[in-house]
Amino acid sequence: MTSAPDAPDQPTPPPVATDSPAPSSWITVFFSTATTVFLAELGDKTQLAALLLSAQSGRPFIVFVGASLALICSSLVGVLLGRWLSTVMPAHQLERAAGVLMVALGLWLGRQAVLHLAPLHLLTS
Amino acid sequence: MPFALLASTFATVFLAELGDKTQLAIVSISGTSNRPGAVFAGSATALVLASLVGAAAGGSLSSVIPTDGLQLAAAAGFLIIGSRLILRSGAGSGEDADTPAP
Repeated sequence: MTSAPDAPDQPTPPPVATDSPAPSSWITVFFSTATTVFLAELGDKTQLAALLLSAQSGRPFIVFVGASLALICSSLVGVLLGRWLSTVMPAHQLERAAGVLMVALGLWLGRQAVLHLAPLHLLTS
Repeated sequence: MPFALLASTFATVFLAELGDKTQLAIVSISGTSNRPGAVFAGSATALVLASLVGAAAGGSLSSVIPTDGLQLAAAAGFLIIGSRLILRSGAGSGEDADTPAP
């Protein structure tokens, strides 16, 4: 019993599961979700409603609190709906459907933005 | 009366947001991620930040921020996330190991 190495440089194999995709870390999911949602939400019609309310009322803080509560509730609804869908659908089927939905939303969003940008070029040409 | 304004803001924004593309994106991300807490925290933070920007800017948001450019960036993000999901569903269609708890 001479070789009892309690040295900390004992090479422990890292838990690499090659067959299953590594779950994304909490902070990665947080920031990717936050970036996507923030970009999508700016210039949205919710923004326009909040802007109108804020400009009409002259009380931006109340409007901010009310809009924030509503948005938090709606994102909670969205998260719960997604969790529920993941319990009633197979994972790969849900991933494909969500991917198709996201691609369609991306095309639609891009078309909207291009249509907003395009009339300037059409008028000048 | 601040409460009436609070309630009307809540109702307007909540109804405007139901079925919106943002909520569809949240449903997609939440359904295909195994970290719903992170998805909720991230989306709630982003939405609060966006409404803070909106309330602070008043009526002049589009003169401060190039919203069309941001929407284009969001569209690119949606396309990237969507195509990655489609690729992943094609690659790992055999494994759905984690059966959801009832």
